[in-house]
Amino acid sequence: MSALPDFRLLRPASARDAILLRGAHPASRFIAGGTDLLPNMRRGLVDAEVLIELAGIAELRELQDRGDALRIGAGVTLATLAGDPGVRARLPALAQAALAVAGPTHRHAATLGGNLCLDTRCQYYNQSEDWRRGNSYCLKRIGDTCRVAPKSKRCYAAFSGDIAPALLALDAEAEILGPSDVRRAPLAELYRDDGMAALALGADELLLAVTVPLTSNRVSGYEKLRVRGAIDFPLAGVAVALARDGNAIGKLRIACTGVSSRPELVAGLDALVGRPLDDDALAAIERGVRRAIQPMETTTVSVPYRRRATPVLAKRLVRRLWDEGG
Amino acid sequence: MNAPDRDWRRVGGVVEAPRGVGVRMPLVDGVEKVNGTARYTADLPAQGALVGKILRSPYAHAELLEVDVRDALALPGVIGIITGEHCDVPYGVIPIAQNEFPLARGRLRYIGEPVAAVAAIDEATANAALAAIRLKVRELPAYFEAADARKSDAVLLHDNKKGNLEREVHHEFGDSAAGFAAADLIREETFECAEIHHAMMEPNAALASWDAERGHLTLWSVTQVPYYVHTSLAQCMKLDPAYIRVIKPFVGGGFGHRVETLNFEIIAALLAREARGTVRLLQTREEAFLTHRGRPQSHIRMKLGLTRDGRMTACQAEVVQRGGGYGGYGIVSILYAGALLNGLYDIPAVKYDGYRVYTNTPPCGAMRGHGTVNVRFAFESLLDTMAAELGLDAFAVRRRNLLSAPTETINGLKIMSYGLPECLDWVEQASGWRDRASRSGGDGPIKRGIGIACSHFVSGSAKPVHFTGQPHATIALRVDFDGAITILTGAADIGQGSSTVVTQVVAEVLGVEHRRLRVVAADSALTPKDNGSYSSRVTFMVGNAAADAARKLKALLVTAAAKRLQVSEAEVDWFGEAAAVVGNASRQIPFHDIVEEALVDVGMLTVKGLFTCPVEFQGGKQRGGAVGSTMGFSYAAQAVEVSVDTELGKVTVEKVWSAIDCGFAINPMAVEGQVQGAIWMGMGQAMSEETVYENGRHKAASLLEYRVPTIVESPDIEVHIVESMDPNGPFGAKEASEGPLAGVMSAIAAAIEDAVGTRIRALPFTPDRVFDAIHRQPRPGASAPAAEQGAAR
Repeated sequence: MSALPDFRLLRPASARDAILLRGAHPASRFIAGGTDLLPNMRRGLVDAEVLIELAGIAELRELQDRGDALRIGAGVTLATLAGDPGVRARLPALAQAALAVAGPTHRHAATLGGNLCLDTRCQYYNQSEDWRRGNSYCLKRIGDTCRVAPKSKRCYAAFSGDIAPALLALDAEAEILGPSDVRRAPLAELYRDDGMAALALGADELLLAVTVPLTSNRVSGYEKLRVRGAIDFPLAGVAVALARDGNAIGKLRIACTGVSSRPELVAGLDALVGRPLDDDALAAIERGVRRAIQPMETTTVSVPYRRRATPVLAKRLVRRLWDEGG
Repeated sequence: MNAPDRDWRRVGGVVEAPRGVGVRMPLVDGVEKVNGTARYTADLPAQGALVGKILRSPYAHAELLEVDVRDALALPGVIGIITGEHCDVPYGVIPIAQNEFPLARGRLRYIGEPVAAVAAIDEATANAALAAIRLKVRELPAYFEAADARKSDAVLLHDNKKGNLEREVHHEFGDSAAGFAAADLIREETFECAEIHHAMMEPNAALASWDAERGHLTLWSVTQVPYYVHTSLAQCMKLDPAYIRVIKPFVGGGFGHRVETLNFEIIAALLAREARGTVRLLQTREEAFLTHRGRPQSHIRMKLGLTRDGRMTACQAEVVQRGGGYGGYGIVSILYAGALLNGLYDIPAVKYDGYRVYTNTPPCGAMRGHGTVNVRFAFESLLDTMAAELGLDAFAVRRRNLLSAPTETINGLKIMSYGLPECLDWVEQASGWRDRASRSGGDGPIKRGIGIACSHFVSGSAKPVHFTGQPHATIALRVDFDGAITILTGAADIGQGSSTVVTQVVAEVLGVEHRRLRVVAADSALTPKDNGSYSSRVTFMVGNAAADAARKLKALLVTAAAKRLQVSEAEVDWFGEAAAVVGNASRQIPFHDIVEEALVDVGMLTVKGLFTCPVEFQGGKQRGGAVGSTMGFSYAAQAVEVSVDTELGKVTVEKVWSAIDCGFAINPMAVEGQVQGAIWMGMGQAMSEETVYENGRHKAASLLEYRVPTIVESPDIEVHIVESMDPNGPFGAKEASEGPLAGVMSAIAAAIEDAVGTRIRALPFTPDRVFDAIHRQPRPGASAPAAEQGAAR
């Protein structure tokens, strides 16, 4: 990888100051752990003259147990989430997803906010400047053609964060600081199905925290498909949150990552509420997952494989949680 | 683990610290690597060094009409730019096949080929200069698969090579027709092996310093063979080698990537001369993948004849290697692939047809297990399949075909020691092979299985690549007034432990303490030439030379001790750190007194140790007889236990048992490390590693996308050392690092078959391929996505 391009580093002491700096410098980016941003900068994927470092903002690092909900600051590291006894006990999907990200050194630096705001990825995009220039670039940057779908007008780069599906399944809410106020929205509203601009955040907005309800009798988990047991981004990732009501499904939420341009919450699962987890239910889950995902050739691992393996991950996880929850 | 533990010698009644051969000890340069004080090429201080950068071809195949550097040269801070015009001398590791220029001339043959290079005051300026260089080309049809390059209407990459064949090999030893006629069962299968890369830990780097006053060049580089780099520099720069100094600092792995002189090394030197200064050329990981020299994509058709009771009657193999744009080590790769079908088992007849093909992809070359790995995958896989068909046990069929040392193979390879039977015995016992039925298979979606395979490798090519008439290894020992013994060796320690091995050998012969010994290695101004760290030659050849040097030094010191003690040499009792009169330990003198006496009248002592492979080991007289010739083969057997997730196609290697016959373990700890490394590297090729080209553009040129296994994938590897005591190896030692690799892929394939009933014949066994194999049951040997990925989208 090439050396980092020149940039100015600004270190605001509060989230409010960070927003103001972001507004004052159009060619700026927030940086927390930098595990995604810095490699991308080295590859010439980011035009940032100014980096606004969030590490000095104490409020972003807070992890607050509010009894019925856990509020997690965007600056909490993935290592913290993976190791926190409360998260592991009450939000296992989140702890498992955090532990599934990259390797230990990455997780030590990487943050919740960074993983939720991860840039989308594609084998034609995450390459060096020389590589992309030689390939006449792509729609996501400089070029005019999406290399995985040349006839398409949109970019299909894949959202590849592990944390988002876990939080979607766990029904988390995002807290976003804008120039005037804090707004709250279901996490799903943070994302758009667009590989070029998957984040529905304004240029002068900052993700402050997420709040996750601590529902009792809910079990959850995260499973990640990848070639290696570490380092790799997900070929597919599936998070499930399940509440079992005796022999019936009380509540079921499933979300996927790595298989479309945004983390996808599987739709239509409410129809299963009140029914047992039998073969019909599993078949319905499989159909739901298949409908929700749209893997494209964003990695070198084949699309048909990812399409067939993702529902397997989901059904397995649901069955495991069903047994755990009973 | 289970390597032999030996008793330490007692000297003067005191138990000495471990020091000689057979001793389990950390590498002599291990501490620096662990604590971070070791300086690698990129770490070397060079104040004011210019930044070197290479412009690489974005074209897979094109005529290069013009390289316009005028705008780039005009940029402030650009000190020098070189292009193909600055060097019109081709280079290459094989003297008869030199067809590569450090910077392209007239033709571009792969994406990533160096075209021009810049020396500038900083990286940003160098980048700006590269962007300002304009290329004028005429694009040509490009070929990314061997079959396409071989078509009759294909444009030739090199005008003198018809059919884009760098080399065809047609060898037959024994009578294969008669052998197949005698067989009860004949089977033929095809196998596909994806191209792989070394992925050595240290990225490429060179530091070149041109002394404009004296017209001298000094180059520090990451090489495995400083001597080749030295001669290539002299050749390409048209410079007397006397004016060149090549130094190899700490090197973080090579695995064959660095056995050839690489273009960036010559480019750094040319840039330094052009800029009349010092140039630091650091390469990205992507550039290492493009410089490549890895194991070629291989298409193998393997045919084997067996009698009903499992005796091999004949083997026939056709191998097509996709070689890339230039020759490199290609001729040796395609020759070795045939020759090393021999030497492991007793096969009465072998027919071999090999085709090395030029394609518009980065050049392939030597890689750990050079030549043998992919054919061994095919051979062992087919042997398993046929044994099963005959109802024979995997161990039994291999035992049925063992050699018996000393012997000579049908292609004239001498085998003086052969520990494969003991390797098989240990692996069978340790892995619980006979109880495997109780562990194999399983009820749920996760199935377990176990498989085995054997492999071997040369302990150094007995015929050096560059014939000079000089000894095959030379080492010097120097002793002066201070009583220190300095070992001067050209052998390049690239992490394999060569400096440790020579230290242990010298310590053993002289009986002195390690603290008295110092190794100075791989600096052409100080150390004797060495043929380099390739073909696992160093322990065998340099080890023998070190023992020779130490024996000569000891003789000088014993003479001096006798003189000082006023007795005959026969009456000297040598303790290493002291000497005494035999039978009278009180008449003893310390090492410094002995050295003081030895220096009288003559001054500093330098003694030289030599080793040359005797001519009878350099191969038979028949056609192809010299290929693969060596003084001794290492032997290995391994069992691998896997679990297969049948719903997701995911294979997990749970446990490996590997037995190695390395002759004698000069350092059992280092041997175990080498074996574990070999298993692990083989596992990478088996499970997940592959280069991926799309229209010649490497899509996996990073350690994120080129998936070397991580520690998570690393199974428990149990290593057992078999000591067959080779009669010619130093203290009986042979190689230990390449032999255990080649069996890994077929052992895993066998384990997968044991688990799920499907034999996979295409590498690597990635989840999507395994999934397809389990669920689609494709034709045997049918091309997996690997072969398709290079095709146009």
